[in-house]
Amino acid sequence: MHDITVVDLSRLQFAATALYHFLFVPLTLGMTFMLAAMETVYVVTGKVIYRQITQFWGKLFLINFALGVATGLTMEFQFGTNWSFYSSFVGDIFGAPLAIEGLMAFFLESTFVGLMVFGWHRLKPGQHLAVTYLVALGSNLSALWILVANAFMQDPVGAHFNPTTMRMELNDFAALIFSSDAQAKFVHTSIAGYVTAAIFVAGVSAWYMLKNRHMELARRSFRMSVLFGVLSTAGVITLGDALGFVGAEAQPTKLAAMEGLWKTESAPMPFNLMAFPSQENQTNYGEVKVPYVLSILVTHSLTGTVPGVDVLEQRAAERIRGGIPAVSSLKMLSADPNDPVAMNQFNTHQKDLGYGFLVKRYADDVTTATDEQIAQAAKDSIPHVATMFWSFRVMVLLGLGMLAFFVLGLIYTLRNTVQYKRTFLKFAVWMIPAPFLACEAGWLVAEIGRQPWTVYGLLPTWMSASTHSVGYMVFSLIGFVAVYTVFIVIEMYLMVRAIRKGPDDGNGDAELDRGDLSLPASRKTLAEA
Amino acid sequence: MKTFIQFSIFMLIAGLAIVLAIILGDCGAWYFAWLVGTVMIVLIAAVGGALLDAQDERAAALALERKDGKH
Ligand code: HEM
Repeated sequence: MHDITVVDLSRLQFAATALYHFLFVPLTLGMTFMLAAMETVYVVTGKVIYRQITQFWGKLFLINFALGVATGLTMEFQFGTNWSFYSSFVGDIFGAPLAIEGLMAFFLESTFVGLMVFGWHRLKPGQHLAVTYLVALGSNLSALWILVANAFMQDPVGAHFNPTTMRMELNDFAALIFSSDAQAKFVHTSIAGYVTAAIFVAGVSAWYMLKNRHMELARRSFRMSVLFGVLSTAGVITLGDALGFVGAEAQPTKLAAMEGLWKTESAPMPFNLMAFPSQENQTNYGEVKVPYVLSILVTHSLTGTVPGVDVLEQRAAERIRGGIPAVSSLKMLSADPNDPVAMNQFNTHQKDLGYGFLVKRYADDVTTATDEQIAQAAKDSIPHVATMFWSFRVMVLLGLGMLAFFVLGLIYTLRNTVQYKRTFLKFAVWMIPAPFLACEAGWLVAEIGRQPWTVYGLLPTWMSASTHSVGYMVFSLIGFVAVYTVFIVIEMYLMVRAIRKGPDDGNGDAELDRGDLSLPASRKTLAEA
Repeated sequence: MKTFIQFSIFMLIAGLAIVLAIILGDCGAWYFAWLVGTVMIVLIAAVGGALLDAQDERAAALALERKDGKH
């Protein structure tokens, strides 16, 4: 039997490392494409200022990239060390995307990052631009694979459980990659990275404008970042809606928790703008409701409904009862894999197998589970509502706020007056943490919302962990948090230092020259400009 | 010859785009939307930068004209 403290500590450790890691990832995902946009202007127009701009932001990208890679590595090891049962259970499915992610990250992304950084004087402008695009594609495609793996945990398609090997086996790779969840999740996350990069570039550029430094660099970077940002934020909102829509089908418990929907309501359902959900009493306090909106948001119609916690708990209890024979048949099959009675029993009940595992937490021999134990396990099938409710709203609110920010910024920059809007510029600097916060909130929604499962409906979290001692877990958790905090401090220090220093090869106010692309890259120094 | 090579490259890109659209469109269109959307976002941001230069150049030219007019 698993020690629940160890399971909780394993969760905490994964959550801590993932949340730290995801402070670095979005900037990498988005910055690469912003660099591509900046360098495209350099190659097309030949204006040296754009090379300066690309190189300056490229330096900040590199600081972030180097530290981000380091924080990501440990997470892959954690699957094996802390989640060994999970790893063996879904290794068949999880292994392939994870391996491709590693290959993409190390061969495509890292190789081309090297060329991008050191290739300015060795490659022709067009070649260097191609490398920059490959870095952008590589970093986003390596994210694709880990998100495909995560999508499988949210909506396990393309695989089946083999009762003889006691593991999940992949039967449709295309279904895995092209599942609606994987698609929407990848695009939402990748574009969340674009938003992050856009806010970062806009914020730093605003700081330069406030200080009246590197104005040519700052005005251009600001212009490009708000255009990049306004489109990306529109995209992230669209895909957020798509994720909610997909989630309503695949993970109704997550949706009910996100919306604080304790009781199933008839259509058109109102949306809880604000509420203080209580898990014990299964009710919301201080609700502020907007009529009709929930039906429109989650079913895209006025007549659609989704089940509330009351109905979902009932359904879970039924499925637990259905899953108990499936779990007990596994015991028989492990004694005799050819037992036809056991196989028949398994086949009849296999769709509820995961729910049978849920009650195993309370009754080791599931066939003896009492009604109270089943009711408790059914209650467990609902994630923590208050955390979900507020994390979701923080993400959405920040998303809408950033959209408004970008639209205003766009108006100012198109009028070419942004450099005089000091209050707005100050605000832009303060906006820098917003997308990072939104991303962290997004992951809380995605992962806490999946509880109590590691693989939704199939493998409960409490069964997935390794059987370490509490001491070991506490020690390694403290170690990770300490090391990662050092990483963050180093990142902030290096970033702030690089920003204060400004562009390397000049002051970012280069004369706007043109037409020097015919010269070898090595001779196109700023001095010539 | 140059025109022919360019024509071939563009036809190849167009062909690839269509094939991709057909394959991905069948399976749900978000990956495809990402590809198209990312290209669009990058290019519009790039054009935005170039537009700022054009605005600056025009403002400088206008200022010069005004100065010349005074003299
Ligand atoms: C404004 C409207 C938004 C909506 C409706 C929305 C919706 C969602 C939903 C439903 C999830 C959970 C996905 C799952 O269960 O797997 C999610 C996750 C996430 N969101 Fe958002 N989101 C919005 C804005 C944003 C913004 C502005 C950002 C960051 C800039 C962001 C970043 C994320 C991230 C990083 C995740 C976790 C990864 C994932 O599951 O895709 N979201 N979002």
